[in-house]
Amino acid sequence: MKIGIDVGGTHTDAVVMRGLEILATHKALTTSDVKQGIVEALDTVMSIANLDSADITAVMIGTTHFTNAVIERKELSETAIIRACLPTGSGIPPMCDWPEDIANCLGNHVYMLKGGHRFDGSEIHGLDDREIGTVLDDLVSKGIESIAIASAFSPINNSHEHYIAALAKAKIPDANITVSHEIGRLGILERENAALLNASLGGLAQSVVSNMKAALVERKIKCPFYVSQNDGTLMSADFIARYPALTFASGPTNSLRGAAVLSKLDNAIVVDIGGTTSDVGVLANGFPRESNSFIDVGGIRTNFRMPDIMAIGLGGGSLVSADGKSVGPSSVGHRLVKEGQVFGGSQLTATDIIVAAGHQDIGDVNKVSGLSGSLVSKASAAMHRMIDDAIDKMRPSDEPVPVILVGGGSILITGKLNTASEVYCPEHAGVANAIGAAIAQVGGEVESVVSYNKVKRDKAIESATQAAREKAIKAGAQEQSLRVLDIEETPLSYMDDNAVRLRIKVIGDLKQVRQS
Amino acid sequence: MKEICAEDIKDLCAGAAFLATGGGGDPYVSQLIAERLLSRYGPAKLMPLDKVPDDFHVVSIGMVGAPTVTLEQLPTEDEAVKAFDAYQTLTGKKIDAVIPFEVGGGNSTVPLTVAAMRDVPCIDGDGMGRALPEAQMMTFPIYGVHPTPAVLRDAWGNQAILDCNDAETFERHVRAMAVTMGGMISSAEHGMTGAQARRAAIPKTISFATNLGKLLRDHDGIVDAIQGSIVELFKATDYGIVRRLYTGKVVDNERKIVGGYDVGTATIQSFDANVAAMTLLIKNEYLIAKVGEEVVATVPDLICIVEQETSRPLNAERMRYGQRVTVFGIGCTHHYQTDKALKVASPRAFGFDLDYVPLADLGRT
Repeated sequence: MKIGIDVGGTHTDAVVMRGLEILATHKALTTSDVKQGIVEALDTVMSIANLDSADITAVMIGTTHFTNAVIERKELSETAIIRACLPTGSGIPPMCDWPEDIANCLGNHVYMLKGGHRFDGSEIHGLDDREIGTVLDDLVSKGIESIAIASAFSPINNSHEHYIAALAKAKIPDANITVSHEIGRLGILERENAALLNASLGGLAQSVVSNMKAALVERKIKCPFYVSQNDGTLMSADFIARYPALTFASGPTNSLRGAAVLSKLDNAIVVDIGGTTSDVGVLANGFPRESNSFIDVGGIRTNFRMPDIMAIGLGGGSLVSADGKSVGPSSVGHRLVKEGQVFGGSQLTATDIIVAAGHQDIGDVNKVSGLSGSLVSKASAAMHRMIDDAIDKMRPSDEPVPVILVGGGSILITGKLNTASEVYCPEHAGVANAIGAAIAQVGGEVESVVSYNKVKRDKAIESATQAAREKAIKAGAQEQSLRVLDIEETPLSYMDDNAVRLRIKVIGDLKQVRQS
Repeated sequence: MKEICAEDIKDLCAGAAFLATGGGGDPYVSQLIAERLLSRYGPAKLMPLDKVPDDFHVVSIGMVGAPTVTLEQLPTEDEAVKAFDAYQTLTGKKIDAVIPFEVGGGNSTVPLTVAAMRDVPCIDGDGMGRALPEAQMMTFPIYGVHPTPAVLRDAWGNQAILDCNDAETFERHVRAMAVTMGGMISSAEHGMTGAQARRAAIPKTISFATNLGKLLRDHDGIVDAIQGSIVELFKATDYGIVRRLYTGKVVDNERKIVGGYDVGTATIQSFDANVAAMTLLIKNEYLIAKVGEEVVATVPDLICIVEQETSRPLNAERMRYGQRVTVFGIGCTHHYQTDKALKVASPRAFGFDLDYVPLADLGRT
């Protein structure tokens, strides 16, 4: 039996699952004491499912804690960035495009050194031990123990990052070090940003993980526990203490993956309609389709693996115009239960329209009985059109697609969606996030630039796949279950030599999880 | 004299991304470095092309190489300005003003940073009025400016001076040097007199790109609302005609690398089922647009694409399924309408079996 827990900003959800069967669910407000919230969630679902702690084989936790820390600029450690790139790169130092408030939180400890590699893996410049030593002395004198290390083209050759990290560890034994090639892909600005955020979250990660561990110990749960990351795969608890930034998008990812399980569909569009916005994402082979563009986390440009989510301003609390022709993006949000007309308020909301149309019995239907039929049908048509437009932009081809509706606002969709081949509204959709966490898998990914003139294409793909498999196995995947999820080849413009950027991702089931 | 300051750079980069006709690479890196250098050294003086004195020695400065390399190998602060210095030392000629290769993409800002750092004017104009992939396609060689002596410099301080017989040879050699010198280099080239520059360069493109970018960025919404303003803006220039060619959804984008360039085809489908799909033929830039079998715009006229909902210019490498876009055809400046220019910049110069027909003479409205 597996337990999935989603610690969100508003709610903490939990589920107990046996295979893909849902045995118990729980939804409660998130408490300020993370440990206590998890303990309560565990107690509730274990009692519903009549479980003993020995029955549990794994606990999976999803959390938005680290995203919120960055957005709110809270609990971030002072962190230095050491970038090996000179003589290139001096024109754009690390953090030069950061918002001032978060740059100040981290302390603006920016260092550039000779080093790094070129696109063909040769050195831009050799490293200079004395130069590195001077930087480390400076960090010691400032008392900084949180360090991000980046070098040019480290996804192709990471030796300089490793070398600097080893010297830093020797000089500052307690240092919390993030090397950029372990956390980002090509694009040094975005990758070093990711490394910086990751390193600055190190202290918080230690404390969150120990709280999670303490909660399990308190309930005598001895099985391993995992944390879900951006792409729907898991990392072990010890990993999260080192890579907290990899959880940044786990919320929407878990929601998409949970929807896949609930609907038993691997390829579909998932529409998560909340109080103010709707998030539209794409399930491709059971996993969220990733975004191609740069992702802004708290005002900082990163290139994390993140689901491609389109948010539109439509939710249960969206305001409806007087003529009914437009709905949203303004919304009463969580004040719906006070300000919506069916709840005695004065604002005309999307929820009022659905009640007036007779599709839902929420609040007092008499309060909206005076709305004209034409207004109600116009507003309802507008909502369907908004969702249809969003699906149309996100769907992988212009064929109609299966659509899965989740979230409290999914009641807004009462009629036909032109873009949908079929519409699914699965049971338990409210705890899709926790389900997504419970069924998460383990992945391994490699990215490199290869010349197909020097290495044959099939050989290059084969060796990259092998490297990705080894990464996944190291992360806890069961070898037999591994499969290639994605092969991506990007031709490098202007580059001779038939050079491509090759990215391969494999995934598999978690080794420790056994079906009981 | 007008100035370009750090606060203008975002506008200039957005306008230059529009005029890049799908090429030019990601403008973010060039935006960042230009903002930093202009903040530190002060604004760049912008000299109107018609005010450049006859005896000025004008040199074109920019970056040559693979945009992908700059994702990791970020620019130095002084690489371009050192190419400027080396040009003066190695040729013995003092540079009185600089001018961009192209107004499309990152090369629009490099000469401005050099101008600010060395206190020389940057000419408000360029050698393409857009982006094009090869050196012989610039108006400078087309109108009689010899590309060399050219001084190339890499981030390590290695330099090369090229002396070539003609523009095509120069393009071959500079491309090979760029690969050898780490993938991305600075080049100071096409030295010319002020009199030559006035004849060979396309005027007012830097200030125009800045105004265009400001219009797009201030609006940041559905393109229909500013179409009239875009038309007005171009109408007042040598580009002249703007035609909205198509609006629809990207349904296919297939590209591969051929001979060191991105080559491919993109397909856009109208929301009106009765309208045939638009096909775009791409070699780094958008070169030819067809609706069904009918050609609606070709190089050297500009084919510019913006995202329908945001009016943001769309690079060819960023185009993907599902994006809603509007395609504009824009007339090239008169510099490209001569036989000599069309020989190097018409569809045939790119290997297509197709003659150039000016946008104004093509049927669609």
